[in-house]
Amino acid sequence: MSTLHVLSHSPFGDERLSSCLRVIGPNDALLLSGDAAYALQPGTAPFSSLHARNLKLFVLAEDAQARALQVPDWASAIDYPAFVELSIHYDKVNSWL
Amino acid sequence: MAKSLLIISRQAPWSGPSAREALDIVLAGGAFDLPIGLLFLDDGVFQLAATQDAKALQQKDLSANLQALPMFGVEDLFVCADSVAARGLDPKGLSLEEARVLSAQDITALIDRYDQVITL
Amino acid sequence: MKFAIALFSAAHAPSSRRALLFAQAALAGGHEIVRLFFYQDGVYNASGSVVTPQDEQDLPKQWRTFVSEHQLDGVVCIAAALRRGVLNEEEAQRYQREAVAVGAPWELSGLGQLHDAVQDADRLICFGGA
Repeated sequence: MSTLHVLSHSPFGDERLSSCLRVIGPNDALLLSGDAAYALQPGTAPFSSLHARNLKLFVLAEDAQARALQVPDWASAIDYPAFVELSIHYDKVNSWL
Repeated sequence: MAKSLLIISRQAPWSGPSAREALDIVLAGGAFDLPIGLLFLDDGVFQLAATQDAKALQQKDLSANLQALPMFGVEDLFVCADSVAARGLDPKGLSLEEARVLSAQDITALIDRYDQVITL
Repeated sequence: MKFAIALFSAAHAPSSRRALLFAQAALAGGHEIVRLFFYQDGVYNASGSVVTPQDEQDLPKQWRTFVSEHQLDGVVCIAAALRRGVLNEEEAQRYQREAVAVGAPWELSGLGQLHDAVQDADRLICFGGA
């Protein structure tokens, strides 16, 4: 079983990213949406945590673009059709509301 | 076979209606005899703090609803050990005795076991 | 694939727009949406009383159009809606409230409909929070 975890809160001053990283499994993936995209801000603790984890990482392209965030080569920017495909590829979706 | 659903409750008892609305999903599922699990994570563990006084805030005390879960057929109750420790609670002194205290690794496996999950 | 889509945030939240875009992409991809379920602040997306600033996206209107056009099952949790003042004609009468905020294509119903959708669908996708 594999899970696509989806985050939408800024990682700064919010616990969701760290809690997610504590429980995310080896077959799982993580999609950064909305303000969670700020985790790709270079030179920050969230950026380092994500880089170090070596997990399958996705970001909604529109959210990276809006925030002028460069998507590193260890992450993939996706659109909505790809989001739909991902939700099918993984066995279930866990959005951290 | 019915699909199983895990509810992960992350909010403290009186931070808006979230704790209650998470519980309502669980109770509804139990009433329909569905396989439901409930995990208390992050601030959600405060819902299980032994000493609480909801009346001081003119709020509803959810403890009675929580205690009623097994009666609704919901016995798969879990609480995150790390969240409990970080918040200075005693894992042996939580108000829901049936709740199993899980490590992060256990939780990874737990999420994996359920067909669907709602984290609120 | 059959999707159940649940929305927990208000119309002005970015996650509500994301939910709509996801739903549109799901249909465009040839998939089926068994139900849209609005819970917690998501019930505000069904409110006909929301007046969106002219220079912003009118999500309640877009949801209404989307659900009507594709004849989807759009359900609003009645308990969550009552608490937030999103009442239909029947509930407004029952509770003697002045404003009727929700009508067709939305249906006010219980959490059983969410569970039903979870059982029926291949995937449950939740949107909300921020």
